[in-house]
Amino acid sequence: MRFSTRTRFWAVLLPLVFVHQALQAEIRETSVWWLPRNVNMFGHEIDFIFYVILGLTGVTSVAVFSVMIYFLVKYRARPGVPAIHSHGNNTLEVVWTTIPVFIFLALAIYGNEQWTQMRLRQPPADAIPVAVVGEQFGWNVRYPGPDGKLATMVASKVGKENPFGVDPADPAGADDFTTYNEVVFPVDRPIRLYLGSKDVIHAFYVPEFRLYQDMVPGRVYDFVWLKAEATGNFQLACNQLCGQGHYKMFGKLSVVPVAEYEAWAKGKAPVKVSAQETKTTAQVTVAER
Amino acid sequence: MSTLAATHVHETHSHAHEEPTGWKKYIWSLDHKIIGIQYLFTSLAFLLIGGGMALLMRWQLAYPSTQVMASGDVGNPIALPFINPQFYNALFTMHATVMVFLVVMPLLIGAFGNYLIPLKIGTGDMAFPLINELSYWFYVASGVIMLAGFFVAGGAAAGGWTAYAPLSSVAAYNGTKMGQTLWAAGIFVNGLASIMGAFNYITTIVNMRAPGMGFFRLPLTVWALFITAFLLLLAVPVLSAALAMLILDLNFGTNFFNPAQGGQPLLWQHLFWFFGHPEVYIMILPAMGMASDVLSIFSRKPVFGYKAMVFAMIAIGLLGFIVWGHHMFVSGMNLVLSAAFGVSTMVIAVPSAIKTFNWLGTLWGGSIHFTTAMLNALAFVAMFVIGGFSGIFMASTPVNIFVHHTYFIVAHFHYVLFGGSIFAVFASIYTWYPKMFGRMLDETLGKIHFALTFVFFNLCFFPMHNVGLGGMMRRIADPTAYEHLRSLQPINQFITFAAIGLGFSQLLFFWNFFRSLKNGKPAGKNPWHATTLEWTVASPPGHGNFAVTPTVYRGAYDYSVPGHPRDYIMQNEPDAPDAPATKPRTTALVG
Repeated sequence: MRFSTRTRFWAVLLPLVFVHQALQAEIRETSVWWLPRNVNMFGHEIDFIFYVILGLTGVTSVAVFSVMIYFLVKYRARPGVPAIHSHGNNTLEVVWTTIPVFIFLALAIYGNEQWTQMRLRQPPADAIPVAVVGEQFGWNVRYPGPDGKLATMVASKVGKENPFGVDPADPAGADDFTTYNEVVFPVDRPIRLYLGSKDVIHAFYVPEFRLYQDMVPGRVYDFVWLKAEATGNFQLACNQLCGQGHYKMFGKLSVVPVAEYEAWAKGKAPVKVSAQETKTTAQVTVAER
Repeated sequence: MSTLAATHVHETHSHAHEEPTGWKKYIWSLDHKIIGIQYLFTSLAFLLIGGGMALLMRWQLAYPSTQVMASGDVGNPIALPFINPQFYNALFTMHATVMVFLVVMPLLIGAFGNYLIPLKIGTGDMAFPLINELSYWFYVASGVIMLAGFFVAGGAAAGGWTAYAPLSSVAAYNGTKMGQTLWAAGIFVNGLASIMGAFNYITTIVNMRAPGMGFFRLPLTVWALFITAFLLLLAVPVLSAALAMLILDLNFGTNFFNPAQGGQPLLWQHLFWFFGHPEVYIMILPAMGMASDVLSIFSRKPVFGYKAMVFAMIAIGLLGFIVWGHHMFVSGMNLVLSAAFGVSTMVIAVPSAIKTFNWLGTLWGGSIHFTTAMLNALAFVAMFVIGGFSGIFMASTPVNIFVHHTYFIVAHFHYVLFGGSIFAVFASIYTWYPKMFGRMLDETLGKIHFALTFVFFNLCFFPMHNVGLGGMMRRIADPTAYEHLRSLQPINQFITFAAIGLGFSQLLFFWNFFRSLKNGKPAGKNPWHATTLEWTVASPPGHGNFAVTPTVYRGAYDYSVPGHPRDYIMQNEPDAPDAPATKPRTTALVG
């Protein structure tokens, strides 16, 4: 087949367009092509398993594709060279069944072990409790006041008027304060999250924390905790499709030095009638955006 | 009674129906071949629609809220000059729904299942031809109902193809009550079509195999479709029940899934994924079967480890029913449950690995002909390997909580469903088009189409792994809204260009497909020198397929048998009286 000059011109130009686009990518802290940095204590384990699997699948892919290409070249049809008539080999079948069984079982058991540990690991007693409740389309956040205690959240009470499902008479909640789309964590301090949702399923997702948790309405998730190891500004993104405004359901999440956190918390007025106040704040914030 | 008997004598085989002619043939025909071709044309049309939606989405992701190619309103019923977030949500919801229910399933099962099963097992038609035709029209109706969603108030369903409740089940949350109802109704009707097809296939394969066609002489295509039919029969009714509940919740005040009224959102997820995971295998098993046959034909070799292939597919079918919970690792499930689902999910990778090794074994020692069909089948194997490997990351619970719902998983399932299923469909079209239409497709055009598709496919979907690892969530209408994703935007634009290239490369295929209907080289009975029964009859086969019911003497893969003058022996060829028996003929691996 012959190609015209114009075809040749485009054949050369088109790949260049692609390369140009790729090169335009700003280099962020690490690399645009790879994982963002990890700032959560538990993220290291996840990254480690990720690299184990990457190594394993990487080596196996190279092996499989090398064999495939070798066969394709070596056994290409040539006149006078017939194919070998073979229906298979049972020994080989046993070998290539048994080896993957052990590899996959080992991966499953190891991964599950890590997962169980992560989930069963109890947060230390001094962990700061923070409640995060999703709604279409924003984040209600509730912090403990000077007493260090959050009002008890009751899943069945979470609703339009009472985003955190608390009892207004709960003494632990009297000094709590709330924010909207704003999360501040002190660095190096364990944080225990209480996650819930007012309406549809949302998900708490911060890639730098290697953390994703669905928030199914009707329940409060109390097993997630974390410890940030470095300060920085991140985004808390909703990662479960939650409706029309899903794409902009994000909040500012900053990890700051402990002193800065304490100063920030001190400046916040405690909730009086928690439900009503949060509701109003929510509406104002949405309207502003 | 006597007239009836006379008819039966005249009609030597199972088909007792008359064949309509002209245009009526394409509406009322009960012939499995016509129905298969109807499925093929219809699902290729839906492929264009689904692909068009994908390109609109890619445009929005690369250049959020800008006009599509400066064309203004692109038929967006909400009549905005750009793709607004709600329309974007509807696009990805309907793209997935169309591709799963109206493209991949009907192509693999409707088109090739219908066309090939009776021909390959040596019978005249399906067991229930009328139900077969009904199944096709239910499928068409389901497509119309689903797409009608774009033209009703609120627009089409926009809750994702997984339609997680309560977003999908409460009108106040989704704003698309009518569209969501049509979505559910469309899939419900589609499910009826699947169930009708499934029991038809099972009955046909169990009862109507030609004399001598034992189960272990069936080509792997037939085995794959047989197992798939069982999966459909067991999984689809569960989805239908869930859809009925969803319709009731949306329109008639029930609260199956609404926690505000005492319902349970996770009930939807369990029911959906109890169907949804077998569904994944429904969409890949037939592809595996057909690719195995294509690899064997063009390597001029029997399928390596035929029985291992069959048992691996049965294992996938069985295990496919106990892995659904891995879609819900992040919902906060009980640790014992997540452990069980984690192990079963890793174990289901084993039969897939076995199949990959056997495909490589089939290539080993072959005489490989690089036809367009073969190139597509080889791409199927390679892309399936990549898709399988990326699946291992998700199967590992801890890693899953990082990559869940990011573009990493978008990359993963496109490698399996496009890289796997669609490449297998191309391989199958190139292989069986000559049988269906009596003419060959153009090989040069075919190879250019293959090369472009292969390159653009990888340029499009491989970088999605990277943006996923970079933290890009799926199902967001505007990645530039996020600080942490803004630096990834050039990669998103790159992916969009590749997607446009991928989309437009398919025009070559359609051109080849329609041009060759008239201009292709005549195919003859058996252009590929293959062994199975469909190649013993004319191309296209006449109504009733076989003038005389064939008798089967051997397995489906007698290629390159030593001492035979041809490098293939048809399944209905008896052994020469003085020749040594051809069965069982196994040669040692080396030598």
